[in-house]
Amino acid sequence: MDFKDYYAVLGVSESASPEEIKKAYRKLARKYHPDVSKEEDADTKFKDVGEAYEVLKDPEKRAEYDQLRKYGARADGSFEPPPGWQSASGFGGGGYTEADARQFSDFFEEIFGGGRRGGFSGGFGGGGFRQNMRMRGEDVHARIALFLEEAFHGCEKQVSFAVHEADEHGRVIPRQKTLKVKIPAGMREGQNIRLKGQGSPGIGGGEPGDLFIEVEFAPHPHFAVEGRDVMVTVPIAPWEAALGATVTVPTVGSKVNVKVPRGSTSGRKLRLKGKGFPGKHPGDQIVILQIAMPEKHSAEAEKLYEQLAEAEKNFNPRSKLHV
Amino acid sequence: MSKQDHILTVEVLDQDGSTFTLREICERGECHAEFVIKLVDYGIIAPVEESPEARHWEFDVGALSRLRKAQRLQRDLKMNLPGLAMSLELLDEVEEMRREVGRLNHRIRQLMGE
Repeated sequence: MDFKDYYAVLGVSESASPEEIKKAYRKLARKYHPDVSKEEDADTKFKDVGEAYEVLKDPEKRAEYDQLRKYGARADGSFEPPPGWQSASGFGGGGYTEADARQFSDFFEEIFGGGRRGGFSGGFGGGGFRQNMRMRGEDVHARIALFLEEAFHGCEKQVSFAVHEADEHGRVIPRQKTLKVKIPAGMREGQNIRLKGQGSPGIGGGEPGDLFIEVEFAPHPHFAVEGRDVMVTVPIAPWEAALGATVTVPTVGSKVNVKVPRGSTSGRKLRLKGKGFPGKHPGDQIVILQIAMPEKHSAEAEKLYEQLAEAEKNFNPRSKLHV
Repeated sequence: MSKQDHILTVEVLDQDGSTFTLREICERGECHAEFVIKLVDYGIIAPVEESPEARHWEFDVGALSRLRKAQRLQRDLKMNLPGLAMSLELLDEVEEMRREVGRLNHRIRQLMGE
């Protein structure tokens, strides 16, 4: 087991005052709150910060921790509590706490014990559920990342999430649950699906909670989505823009031929009705034209450009810059 | 006890999808109606259709996940309701801006021919 340096987690010195500890905790809790932060390991960091504060805010726990820190930590970073170690402050037994002991590390468990033994300590002040209590199971909110093609055509996906259930002693323990889910075609980012009864099981015969899954999209190399519309930038040659042309354009999972109007400019948008996200009111695909130049020109092409320059000599592409 | 061999059909929730009454959202959010009413008063969540009488309110699933978010922020960061309202608004703005930056970066990469 690794030693957890709670002072380092909060970024305070060993001699930090309770005020400094509270201040550091508040700042880091705001920074790493999973509803605020987009950092990948925000959830873990937030839990670490909460665990560190749980110990360092309490003078008794802090004194015990300081003692262990002095004698228990080994040079290689590993940790073993001294033989016969038993915490006097404990966790689950001592009064009301808002911290959720289910979230704390093995290290915390080893030192202050009772974390998981304390049952549903947040809401119920320690101790297991009474057998005669009837309660609906928790709803679980999860997210699923889909490729655009998967959302567009529908797919089957495996989702894993944690539910909380009571064991035979009434202790609430987390359990990992995995389901195969059929995602219907045309789901959009931010939309939710519900699986009735797939959340945490009810207690004392209460009905189970539901599972809500919010859809998010993995970025696509070519397509971007805005509402129900799919946007794609399509390069065209200068002569296709000038003379008009029929070009092949990709759609999600297929392709279509699109007529580029004569005299098109870069950035011009063409709307392909009904080629966006499927549904009751299907979206459109928006093609954004982008004029692309060949990297090299042949001698013949250069001559033609010279002729073009002569024919279009009144055109000033920089007129908006007043030069 | 894995159920992964069963393929489950899902219910899609959107604006014209199913809604929750005030009582249902309280049950699911494990909170009192007063708390939901305060969140509505502060504009943190809104019923699908405005009504002066709370018993007629219906909420979509977006309101439910926002309620849970508000509860977590209040519990973990000890925020009061005006602070919560402002933070959630700013978080929405940040989220929208992140998306916009993502879209613009995407456009730039395409225009640069990457």
